[in-house]
Parts: sequence; structure tokens; C-alpha cells
Amino acid sequence: MKQRMKVRERLSYEVVVRDKLGKVLERIVAPSRSYVSAWNQCLYVLNRHSSFTITDTGGTSHSISYSSSVLRANAGAGEIGYGIRIGKGTTPVTINDYALEAPCGEGTGPDQFLHQATSASSPAVAGPDCSFWLRRVMVNNIGSTISGIREIGCYVMMKYSPAYYGLGYHDVLPGPVSVPDGGSITVTYTLKVTV
Amino acid sequence: MRNRAGLWYSVTVRDRDGKVISWERRRAHSFLKQWNEFIWFFHFGGNIYPKIINGSPTKLDSHDNNFLMTGGEGDASLGIVIGTDDTPVAIDNYAMGAQIPEGFGAGQMHHLANTFGAPAVSPPVSGYSISRIIVNNSGGLITVRESGIYHQHSYRYGPVAYQFYFYSSCGVRDVFAVPQDVPDGGSITVNYTLQVTE
Repeated sequence: MKQRMKVRERLSYEVVVRDKLGKVLERIVAPSRSYVSAWNQCLYVLNRHSSFTITDTGGTSHSISYSSSVLRANAGAGEIGYGIRIGKGTTPVTINDYALEAPCGEGTGPDQFLHQATSASSPAVAGPDCSFWLRRVMVNNIGSTISGIREIGCYVMMKYSPAYYGLGYHDVLPGPVSVPDGGSITVTYTLKVTV
Repeated sequence: MRNRAGLWYSVTVRDRDGKVISWERRRAHSFLKQWNEFIWFFHFGGNIYPKIINGSPTKLDSHDNNFLMTGGEGDASLGIVIGTDDTPVAIDNYAMGAQIPEGFGAGQMHHLANTFGAPAVSPPVSGYSISRIIVNNSGGLITVRESGIYHQHSYRYGPVAYQFYFYSSCGVRDVFAVPQDVPDGGSITVNYTLQVTE
């Protein structure tokens, strides 16, 4: 008997680029390429109630213990340690990725964006699915177009103090995206479970 | 189409001499609504009321014990649990259909401690496992038709920061492809593996 294959815990993303007037210039919707190993390691820490050595977004390994801060992604405006991030890296995603390859910073300097607060919907059931989304708007105020945006992802908190952050999921876009001066890029990830 | 975050389970039934008499392994059917509500809470920490296993929506509060699955020997309130019901899984299930209680009497089984396999990366996969042996010393055969995972749910009452009630929520439930008969003196071992794939 051929077993029906379904994706049980699905992740997908939407990327929307707008100009300074809010007009949509580009929209990309696709299944996410991947959760990466730190995501699963954080779940293990919570489920097992133990410590585990996990690589942070700076490439340094830390012993992470269970706490209420693990997996937190509700970053505020200007906070780029965690929450949704974008970057210019093009290397395909691997399970061992621990950070975006070339993340864009916060600010109004070259290749920098003004990161707005991460927002989220409440979990909702529709048929066999339960899903929610998280979203972040990043605004380009550097005075010129930022081109070559090619990767997105979500950093999660692993420890509050001292603060350590890990990469939860990471995707490389099918092609480069350009964000005009005064415009914005909005990244929305949807996390869904299905029976 | 690849599976990005998958859950697998295996079930092994042994007789009183340890001989394997039945085995099943397949993709788990279901993370439930509560699973995603907990993930949401870990991400954002807002107000949410997942159902606990008696069906009551109960506020989830921030606590280090949330999502804990380490039920010890004799504790059938956390970790892997089993039951006798075969009603198909629905996204809003909040408990086993008919959980087999802890004990040595008729219809009861003895739950050993949950054990964990640490996360391991073998590209393109990263996974970890949780296992439990549950022994039938009831004096008769018990047919097991479902399994699942219960995890801790913390609710803070009153204004005092550290006054908590701890409940169980059901994050995962599966109905076996084949009902598993566990003879008296025998055991059933349930293993769940949670893996993500690049």
C-alpha cells in the first residue's frame, strides 16, 4: 500500500517588497526550505529539561539550559539579535547553518534596514490545520536602493542573560530582491501543523 | 516536496520473555493544536489558553517547566502515553481517546521513565527521540490502539509571581495502523523521533 505523505509541521514564507508609497513591487510565496538543527536542539532542551551545547548566531557554542526564554522571537523595533532577519547570502541552506550568511544590519548605513517590531497572529484552526504567522517589516532609509537581498530567516533567543541567540529557520530566495529607498520588505513566516 | 519537520513513531511489543512479537514504525500522524499553541507562546509570550487534558482551556504562563516531557516511573501525566481508543486523530484533540492508567489492576499498565536520545545531526537531518517502556502486569491481555505525548502546562494564579499550577497538555496523538496486543507480563515500547530536514 502506498502511504500518503503529508508534511506535518509545515513552514512557509511570503516576502513582499513595497515602494515608498506602499505600492507592492514584488511578492514571493514559497514553502520554507528549512528548520535547522538549533531549532530541534532548543525543543530538546525544553522537552528533556536539560542542557545541550548549541551554536549561537556568532558561531560560538554554548551550553543552553531550559528556560522560558528559549525560542523567543518577539523582537522589538531596532532589535536584531533575534526575530526575523534578511541578508544577502546566496549559499544553499544546510542543516548545520547557525546564522544568515550575510545579514543586513540595523540602521541607515550601507545595506542597513530599520527593523520594525516582529508581530504575530494567534494560532487558528482551519480544517485539519492549526497555524499562525510571524511577520517583520524592514524599511530602507539609506537614500538609495538596496539590492541583492537573497536570504531570510528567524533568529530565536536561547538564553536571556547573557543573551545568546540561535538560528531557527533559514531560506534562500529563488532570486535577488531589491528594495528602493523609502520602501520596505515584509517577511512573513507561517508555522502550521496538520493532522 | 520534502518534509521539513517530521515526527516518526515506532512501537515494539514484547512477551514476558522479552521476545518481540509485534513491531510498527511509521510517520506520526499528528502534532495537535496544542503543539502549535506552545510554539507560538515560546515565540511571543502572549495570552493563550490551550486546552489541558481534561478539555478545559487554561491560560499558559511563562515558566521554565513548559513543554517538559520527563515523566518518571509511574507517572502517566507527562511524556509518552498510550490508550485503547481508535477514533481518528483530529487537530483539536486534547487528550488520548481512552488513556490506559498507571497501575497493576485490570486495564492498567505500569509506565517506566521516559528516556531521551540527544539531538544528532546527520545531514540533511537533525533529530532527537523520546522513548518509554510500558509494562502490562494487569493479569490479562490489553490491546493498545493509540499513543501520544503529554507535556507540562504552567498556569500562574493570583498576583504572586511563583504560585503555579501545573497541568498536562497533549501535543501529539497517533492511532496505530494495527492494534497492538500486549500480553500479561509483556511490554510495549513507544519511541517518537522529531526531526527537521534541510
